[in-house]
Amino acid sequence: MLYDKIIAIYPELTDADFSPFIGTIVLQNDSDGRGDYIAKWEHPTLTKPTEDQLK
Amino acid sequence: MSGGTIKGGNVQIGQDGTATNNFTWYQPAVADGSVRLGQGVAGATTKDMITVSGSNITLGGNLVQAATAAPAFSAYNSSAQSIANNSFTKVQFQTENFDTNSNFDNSTNYRFTPTVAGYYHVTAQVALNSLTANSFSAIYKNGGAIAYSPVAVGWSGIANTLSAIAVDVYMNGTTDYLEVYVYQASGGSLNTVNSSNATMFSAFLARSA
Repeated sequence: MLYDKIIAIYPELTDADFSPFIGTIVLQNDSDGRGDYIAKWEHPTLTKPTEDQLK
Repeated sequence: MSGGTIKGGNVQIGQDGTATNNFTWYQPAVADGSVRLGQGVAGATTKDMITVSGSNITLGGNLVQAATAAPAFSAYNSSAQSIANNSFTKVQFQTENFDTNSNFDNSTNYRFTPTVAGYYHVTAQVALNSLTANSFSAIYKNGGAIAYSPVAVGWSGIANTLSAIAVDVYMNGTTDYLEVYVYQASGGSLNTVNSSNATMFSAFLARSA
């Protein structure tokens, strides 16, 4: 799962970082066969993982 | 005919042999400032269908709106769907209870795209199969959340968590569409409860534009 891959890259992230209300990261799945993707990444210090990192 | 005035008279519309197949515009024998459209022949109407008095119009019959002018649908999740941890996931509603205008896509995009502009009342609820999950759902319009449900808190003794939501929203009747997303943070994937009384989505036209 995308969430697990991101946590593996950035273990310091918590559920709060992914909270739709207070978090800075939003993962989404449009049920169109493409799977989970990063809909928003606005973390103040951590850079958005690259496609290669998420493979 | 260039116009004219009828005083103290009746205007009967129709000459059918069955009296109730005709209608008559008339004023009451004792004038009260109203004019009425009654069912029946002149002088023998049996039911006032429309009464115009002052600034009021009163209907004596049923106001029937053409079915095609009032989209309504109801659908539910009939095949369990895996919802990943911490990821907003669009809920699939594969089976329709009804869909009066064929405006709900229950096979590809799982979205409601009404073809009549107006104000819609929308409801949704999503049940997840877990004792411990905290979850909530959201109604999306054109890809963005317009309303969130309260957080459903897992509770021992209850097999599922269920988040429910309702919202009234304007739809343009052409391109606007609605979807339902769910979010859960249990630590792992959870399945939806695929039942017509558990995970459902519905909407109807409350007022046309």
